[in-house]
Order: sequence, then C-alpha cells, then structure tokens
Amino acid sequence: MDILKFAVRKLFGGIPLILGVTFISFLLMVYFGPDLTWEKLGKNPTQQDIMEVRHELGYDQPFVKRYGNYLKQLVTLDFGNSQMTDKKVSTILKETMPVSLHLIIPGFILGNIIAVALALFAAYHRGTWLDKLIMTGSVVGMSISFLIVIIAFQLLFCSSFGLDLFPVRGWEVYNNEGNIIWSQYFKYVTVPTLATVFVALGYNTRFYRAVLVEEMTKDHVRTARAFGHKPASILFKSVLKNAMVPITTRIMFSIPLVVVSGSLLIESYFGIPGVGKITYDAIVAGDQNILKAIVGLTAVLFVIVLLLTDILYRVFDPRVELK
Amino acid sequence: MKIIIKPIIALALCLMLVACNNSESTDTTEKPAKKENNRYPGKKVYYHSMDGTPTTADPVRAATVYTNFLVLNEFDTLYSYKYLKRPYELKTNLATAMPQVSDDGLTYTITIKKGVKFHDNKAFEGGKGREVLASDFVYSLKRHFDKKFKSQGAWLFSGRIVGLDDWKKQGSDYSQTIQGLQALDDYTIQIKLIEPYPQLIYTLAMGFTALVPHEAVEFYGDEFGSNPVGSGPFILQSFNQEKAIYFANPDFRQEPLDLAFEGYEESIHEFTGIKELKGKSPPFIDVMEVHFIKESSSRWNSFTKGNEIQFTTVPKEQSNSVIMTKKPLKLYPQITDNYHHMYMVEAGFVYSGFDMINPTFGNNGNPEHDAKNKALRCAIRKGFNWDQRNRAFYFGLGTVFPGVITPAVMEFDPTMSKDAISLDIEGAKILLKEANWNADNLPELKYHTSGNVTNRLFYEQFRGFLKKIGYPVNKIKYNPYPSFGAFNKALKNGKTPFFSLAWGLDYPDAENTLQLFYGPNKSPGSNNFNYQNPQFDALFEKAKIMQPSHERTVLYQELNQMVIDDCVVISGLSRNKIYLWHHDVIMYPDREILGGFFARYVDVKE
Amino acid sequence: MTSKTLTNANEFDPNNFEKGDSLWDKAWYKFKRDRMGKTGAFIVLVYFIIALGVWFGIWGGAWSDTSDDLWQGPSMQHLFGTNVIGSDVLTRVIYSTKVAFEVGFIVAVLSTVLGAILGSLSGYFSGTWVDSVILWLMGVLDSIPFYLFVAAVAFALKENPFAMHIAMIATFWTGTARVVRGEVIKLKGQEFVEAAKSIGVTETNIIFKHIMPNTSHILLVQSTIAFVAAIKSEVILSFLGLGVKDGVSWGLMISESTQDVLAGHFNNFLSSSVFLFVLVIAFNMFSDSMQDALDPKKVS
Repeated sequence: MDILKFAVRKLFGGIPLILGVTFISFLLMVYFGPDLTWEKLGKNPTQQDIMEVRHELGYDQPFVKRYGNYLKQLVTLDFGNSQMTDKKVSTILKETMPVSLHLIIPGFILGNIIAVALALFAAYHRGTWLDKLIMTGSVVGMSISFLIVIIAFQLLFCSSFGLDLFPVRGWEVYNNEGNIIWSQYFKYVTVPTLATVFVALGYNTRFYRAVLVEEMTKDHVRTARAFGHKPASILFKSVLKNAMVPITTRIMFSIPLVVVSGSLLIESYFGIPGVGKITYDAIVAGDQNILKAIVGLTAVLFVIVLLLTDILYRVFDPRVELK
Repeated sequence: MKIIIKPIIALALCLMLVACNNSESTDTTEKPAKKENNRYPGKKVYYHSMDGTPTTADPVRAATVYTNFLVLNEFDTLYSYKYLKRPYELKTNLATAMPQVSDDGLTYTITIKKGVKFHDNKAFEGGKGREVLASDFVYSLKRHFDKKFKSQGAWLFSGRIVGLDDWKKQGSDYSQTIQGLQALDDYTIQIKLIEPYPQLIYTLAMGFTALVPHEAVEFYGDEFGSNPVGSGPFILQSFNQEKAIYFANPDFRQEPLDLAFEGYEESIHEFTGIKELKGKSPPFIDVMEVHFIKESSSRWNSFTKGNEIQFTTVPKEQSNSVIMTKKPLKLYPQITDNYHHMYMVEAGFVYSGFDMINPTFGNNGNPEHDAKNKALRCAIRKGFNWDQRNRAFYFGLGTVFPGVITPAVMEFDPTMSKDAISLDIEGAKILLKEANWNADNLPELKYHTSGNVTNRLFYEQFRGFLKKIGYPVNKIKYNPYPSFGAFNKALKNGKTPFFSLAWGLDYPDAENTLQLFYGPNKSPGSNNFNYQNPQFDALFEKAKIMQPSHERTVLYQELNQMVIDDCVVISGLSRNKIYLWHHDVIMYPDREILGGFFARYVDVKE
Repeated sequence: MTSKTLTNANEFDPNNFEKGDSLWDKAWYKFKRDRMGKTGAFIVLVYFIIALGVWFGIWGGAWSDTSDDLWQGPSMQHLFGTNVIGSDVLTRVIYSTKVAFEVGFIVAVLSTVLGAILGSLSGYFSGTWVDSVILWLMGVLDSIPFYLFVAAVAFALKENPFAMHIAMIATFWTGTARVVRGEVIKLKGQEFVEAAKSIGVTETNIIFKHIMPNTSHILLVQSTIAFVAAIKSEVILSFLGLGVKDGVSWGLMISESTQDVLAGHFNNFLSSSVFLFVLVIAFNMFSDSMQDALDPKKVS
C-alpha cells in the first residue's frame, strides 16, 4: 500500500516536469521551429496561396491557443495527422516504435551486460595489467566517434568491399502477418548491434567499474574480506548487489532517450524505418504533430522511469526510505 | 547474481552465433537470384531505388520527382510520353486520341477510354472498383482549386481555365459546374481556356492531373495520400519512409507494346532486351518495391550486393571505379559485365542567381548604382569556373550551357556563344576596376542555399573562384538553411540577394524556364530573381501563347539572350546521369520527363 | 574593501586554508607520477600550440583555397592530399584544430560556470523553492533528447553562428550542476561556513566566495569532460548539418568524406578522424588523471 501511495504521489509530482518539457519543446520546436508553409507551396505561389496554407497549418492562431491545443492532444493522445505525409501520427508511431525497439534492444542489453561483466573482471583484478588493459580499451572506445564506427562497420561487414556478410540496409524482418521472422531479424540487426555495443561499451565499462570499485572499498566489504570470505563471493554477493542501485539507475535513465533519439544515426545509415529517423525528419521539415507526440511521450516516459527507479531503489537497497 | 548473469551471457553469445551462422548460410548459396523469395513466393519482383523520399501519393501534391513516380504508377493520366522516343513525344494514355483543339486554340475536347476501372477498394460500394469517367477528370482538376487539398499544382492552371478561379473564390462547391471544365458525357472532357495555353497538353501528362475517384478521397479523407486509389498499372500496397510496395493491377487494360510506335531503335535499345516484350501487355512484373535511399553510399552498397536493389544512378564518389573514359563515355568492364547502363542529360539545371530588386547586387533605380552592380554581377559570372565545378561534382560529364534554355528541350541552340559560361579572370578584374569596385567597397556576399554537405562544398569552391578575381575571402559567407522550406521562405521574402538553386523541368518546353524571369511571376511567384524587364515581359507574353514553331523558337532565344545580357543568373549546368541496372532486368529507365511511366514496361528475367 | 576582509576571513580559517593547499599539492604530486596523464597533457599541449599557430596566422590560413588538383593523393606538395574541390587536407585539418579548441573552450567554460552557479545556489538553498526550480529545470533539460534539443535550438536561433554552442551549453551544465549541488550540500554544514555566517558575511558572498572556491577541483574535472563532449558532439552535429557554420571542422570534414570513402579517397576521412581521435583520447587520459589526482575519494 505504501508503494502505491508513493507511486501516485510521485506521478503527480511529475506533472510540472511534463509541463516543463512540453512547454520548452513546444516553444523551441513548434513556435520558433521550421515553417512548413514554404515546403507545402507549389512552384509559383500567390500571396493568397500562402495565407491559405498558413491557415491550414494553424499558424495564424495565437500562441496560448496553440499550446493549449497541444496539451489537449497530449491528454486525449490524439495528435491528428502528420503534416507532411498524410498519415495519422498514431499510425506512424505504431509502425515505427516497434522497429526501433527491436533494433535497439539487443545492443542495449548486450552493451550493458558485457560492460558489467568486464567491469567486474577489471574491478576484481584491480591494479593489474588486465585492469589497465580493459580501462585503456574503454578509453579508446569512448574516443572514437559513433559516426566513424558506423561508417567503418558498414563497409567492413556489409559491403561487397568488405566481408559482405550482412545486408547493407533495410528491415525485412516481419512476415505478412506482422510477426517477426527470427532468421531475418538476426541478419538485419547484427551489424547495428555490433556498432551500438562497440560504442556503448567504453562508457558503460568505465562507469560500472568505478561504481564497483567504490563499493569494494566500503567498510563492510573490507570487514568481510578480513573475516576471510572468498573474494569472488564477496564480489557477487555484496558488491554487485549494492552496486545494482547506480547500475539500474543508469540503465533506466537511458531508456527514454534510447527509445526516441538513440538510434537516429543507425536508422539513417542502415535504412531502418524507425522512430529516430521519423523524429529527425519531422524536426527538419517542421512536422509539428509528430514532434508534439514524440516529445510529449518522451516526457511522460521519463516521469515513469523516475518513478520506477525510486521504487527499484527500495527493492535493491531497503535502507532507502520511500520519502 | 552470478546465477543470473551467466545464462544471460550465454544467451547473448548464442544470439551472435546464430546471427553469424545465418549469414554464412545465405552466403554459401552464391548470389541468390531473388531477394527474399519467401516474401513473394512465385512472383516476379523488381526492386527499384530512388534518391529521395516521397511524402505522399496524392496527385494534387505530386510536386517532386519522387511523389510523381508513385502517382504515375498508381493513377492514370490522360496522356503520357512514348517510352523510348527522344526528344520526348506525347502519346495517349487514358485518352483515346490527342485532344481536338479549336482553331482559336481555346477549346480542347478529349475523349477517354471506355471500360477502365479503378482498383478494387473498400472505398467503393461492395469493394469493386467502378468505371473511370470523364467527370473524374473534372473532379480531379477541381481538387487543385479546393484549399482543403493543399494543392501544389494549381499554379499550372490558375488564370488559364474559364471559371475555375472563380469557382474557388465562391467556396469550391462541387455541385457547381464550371464553364471551362466540363464532362460533356461519361467519356468526353471539354476544357475552355481564357487565352491559348500550348503547354496545357503537357500538364495532362503530369501526375498533378491524374484521375482520382471522389469516393476514395471522401472515404480516406486526410489519409488519402497514404491510401491512394487509382486506375493505373500498379496498386500501392504499403508505403513508408523507406520503401513503397506495388502489386501489379491484374485488371489493367490490355495495350500490347508497339515497339515502333514507342520509338524503339535497334542501335540504341538492343542491349536492353526490350524487343522480347513486343506485343505483350504491361505490366510485366507482379511486384515492384521502390526503395528510398538518400545516402548514396548505402544505395551503392545495396546495388552492388546483387540481391537487393536492381537500379541506381551512379553516385559521384563511384566515378573512379565506374567511368573508364569520359569522351566518349565508357565504363569499366567489371561494371558493364554485370550491369546495363544508360546515360542521359537531365531535364533541368543548376544555377546561381541574383535578386534584382535587392540593392546589394540588383537595382535601386539609380542608373549609376545599377550600372555598377551590373558590372559586379557580370564580373562574378566571369569568375565562375564551370569546368572545375563540373569536374569536381558531376564527373566532368555535365553539360554547361549559356542562359536558361536547357539541352533537354527542342529550342536549345548548341551553337550559341559560350561567353556567358567561359572563365575570364582578367576580364572580371577589369570589369570590377572600371566600375570602381575594390576590396573595401565590395559588398558582403552571402551564399544562400539549403544546408547540406554538397552545397557547403559548392560554396567553398565558389569562394575559391571569387578569391581569384580579388573578392576578399572574409566577405564571402555561407548562409545555409536547415530545410528547403526555410530556404524557400527566405527566397520568397526577398532575403536572398544571391542564391543557388536547381530547377527541374515540368515539361519539355523552354517556356518552363523562361517564365522564371517573367515580371508578374515575381516573389512569391517563381521569379525568384525578381527580374523586371518590360521588354522581356512583352516578348514573353507574345511567345507563351504560340504553338511550337520556328518563330517561337526565335523569340525564346531572344528572351534567353536578354537574361544573359543583364547578368541576372550564373547559368547553367544540366547534370548528366548514368543509370545502372542489373542484367536480369529488362527496361530503359528514365526518371526525367518520362518519370514513373517506364515502370509498367519493366520485366525481370526468370 | 570588503573583498579584502573576505580573503582575510578565508585565510584565517585554518581548516579551509590547509585543506585547499594540501589538495592541490597532493594532486600535483600524484599527477607528476601519472605517466598516462602526462602523455595526455603533452598531446593536448601540442594541439593547443597548433591551434594558437592558426590563431596568430602562422599556419592554416590557406584552408579556403581551392585548386585544380581535385582528389589528389598524398604528395610533397599536399602531404595529406587534397579534397574534392582541390583544397589541401593538411591545412584544413590544422585549421580545424583551432575550431575544435574554440568549440571546446567556449562550451566547457560557459557550461561549467553556469553549472557552478546554479549548482551552488541549488545546493545552498537545498529544500527551498530555489532548489526545486533549478532541479526542475535540470530535469526538463535532461529529458529532452539531446539531438532534438540541439536541432530545435539551431532552428529557433536561425542564422546565429553560435546556435550549436548555445545548445550544448544549455544541456551540458546540468551534469556539473548536479555534482556541485551534492558537494555544496556537504560543504555548507562545515565549520568555516558557520564561522562566516556568524561574523555576518552575506549569503551571496558565502556562496560565491567561500563555498564555490572549494568546489574548484570538481569544476576543473567537469570542464575537461565538457570539453571532450563538445568536440565529439560537434562531429555528429556537423554530420546532421547543425554544426559549425564558419570555417571548417573535423566534423565537417568527416561528413564530407563519407562520400569520399567509397570512392577510395581515404585521406580526408583518415586525417580528420585520426586528428580527432588522438585529441579526444589524450584529453580523456588527461581528464582521468586529473580526476584521480583531484578527487580525494576516488580510488582506482
């Protein structure tokens, strides 16, 4: 019951955050954002054509009314039609969200699991050459630009100039009923996954190692050691368990961003019809209805993540009070 | 924790192994002939590619090459172009004959084929497509004048057809008949013009005038653009930002391919294998996938892979590995062994221009100022190194021509003086000096363009050109816009004293480029130069109502010379594109004027 | 006059004086023994000298020249070859070093300053409405996806050449602010703050003259992190067309070269990405050893 009350209170506490995010992004992306009028006009427009298009797009309405409309759309979850592509925003999201998720999840999971494993290994061998090797490796990984990794991996694994093992682009992973075909899926997801893992590994390993090392120098760990517990059992039983809090927090907080923007580069390079590319195209073109939906949903997702993190803290570390 | 982590790592490893295994197994099957046969079992599939993404398939917004491609395959137009004949020649499509035009050139009468059906769709009663009627054409054209549909093609007809503009002013009521646009009976269309409009016939072969059924427009509302219903050779199954999938229209009217009529010439077209298709009725394939791939490296990788897309233009960065000699054009054997190719000049051109009513480079009414600025514009043009531009960005294969009559139209005169496109650094310096321009008083030149990597390189190269005529480098600035829309907005609001653009021809008639300088078309119209020359306007008005003839060509060339003499535009270059396609595809692809019309004639060897 | 008394007050506080002194001494001692850190610092210094050279016009001035030698391989005349419009790649890479330092410095300094001020305020007034507002602002900025935010700022500011910088500053400061906030909450309970309060020092002075200087080691580390992040983000943003407007940068060169690479012209791509990579890795090493040296709690 405690948890429920806590959750409800937190949810209400998230409202100012949602309002803030939507307001700032509305101001930036919609009010000051690109003007779609000139994209939609014909080759030889008249002044009257311009007025009509502006009216059609709702640009002639006052700011407050437009923001109010946005909030209404957010509450009713009805964002109308995409302004560029004659499709319902909801249809577009329904088509693209699962693609992005399928694309990102393997890399996200592997990137974190391998990083935790490496971090454990490095922390366990702290100070030795193994530790230094892993740490140097992760600094190198951190220092290579994602863009360079994508270009290099595509050349290496996919093109006929390289190993030519995987498709260059596309996402032919669903059958006609919309179910996933696993063999196809592995074919298309591998190279993007490798690129994501490669880039995420450096950051993640460093972070997790730091967390683990800090945990290992705590008094209770030293005591356990002094009492002659096996180092491995200490590492897994107390260190990793306590380190789960910062680890989970990091993972949780990357979720909303991963869902929306994390895959933009991958999606455009590998030609995958995901939500990252849709969003970027929308912002460049000024497709406000899509933007409104995506930014609003991200904010909501963020609040939910905040809430879940707080609850999880409690699960992993009973000392944390549900304030 | 240990217990949890181990299986997860094991699982992860498994995933990677499976992925690798899988790829190996596809690899051993030695170039699979068809991509994903499991997707379309037993079907003949053609994988097309385009370098841009259409946003809609609604004819009223068929303003880009990409949208037009979708529209021409889903819908029917009254006319189209002969498949192989060059220069382009019109032929009938849904119409039974070329239009009957009254002697004064004002009344057009067109009959359409009987028995043509729209695709089956749930928008129709009982789901069966009904017959296409003359009233559908009337409705389709009216849509351009209903602001609800956000037309991008209305400019082709506004001020042209009797009563159409008034119909819009009165609120676009579809029950009202328009005097100049009527269906005389189910199969006869009559169009009455305000003044002769010889280009009208071309507009009837554009995606803009494709016939749409009002039932579907009403049924799908705002989503008609993603759920189009037409009567064309293909039926759009799905369409997102990555690709469109078409199935052949099984009920498409039987119209056997007449090679001679379409302009087949053994010496030019033999390599394509089109001869085999003689007498068969299109469409020949069952499925067409159109992939939208903007990144040229991705497109090239996908094309050379063998089992993905089957058509591409040669991207610039591949020139060294594709082109063996340029004049005459020869490709390397490893290319010609695997692919068919064709090579053609685009129907359009790239240019940079000045805003003539902006005093920075244009006029302010003071004769002294105007003369000084004219010298500056001419000097900049003299300093423009077309040869270097051409070699750096167009394989050195682009056709550079003076003025705005492009090589793709009949009126093009290859013997014209090349002065306006010749590099003359000394001449430019002299001009500047004579007009008292020096490093201190030269105005800041901002290079307005839509921002992308290539445009940025254009700018950097242009800055290099100007440096050579003594223009201070720090006065040449890059002014990119994040989207074409933003750039267009600045253009139409007179914020671009100097701008760089490309123009794609809507139809093969020089009128289409000359109208860019016609006074009344000034911003926000298509005359971005805001060029105001009463002499030009008078002559243009005379020429624009003339049917094609030698006299008209002479007038066109006179107009062209005026634009050149006033140094309004640094022009131009028509890009030459090399198209490649796999050996097992039988076609003669042309995305210029012909646009999407060729797709119905595509066949794939089994 | 007030400032003088304040410095005095600071010096008279034995706790603060000794602590600050020994921290920097110890840090210097640790840093001297850190080979990786020293190598990193040396490389960064070399880059900095290159950038200064561009600044004073000693080299790199010809980056905008074009020539007829398009897409040339390395030669004596063009050590790293030329690009598609015939500009010398080496000159461009050198000039880009200056641009990278400009971007890095501007973003690092301003985002750290902003983070320090807002973080200190938030920490000092923790639990009050000031804290809530700042925390809310941080939450809001953190929950807008970075690239969307930058793109949006770039549009909103239209032709402003600093749109990218502003967007980065606006998002990078939150990280610093969170760390500073935590530290300030700890510091404000300490004796020297109590002492300053008891002799009637104003709150503004306590925050900015007494507490903030004690977070300087954090700020130094945070600013190196922001520096690296700025240089790396520039690459992606330039690829997306949202980056540097005037001049040339490694990001622009990489985005140019995505086309070159497949044509077999690797010089543009390699030169710019290697230059970028070496600077970033050197900075990361330097930043790491600074953290080791300056963070008394940090164990490695």
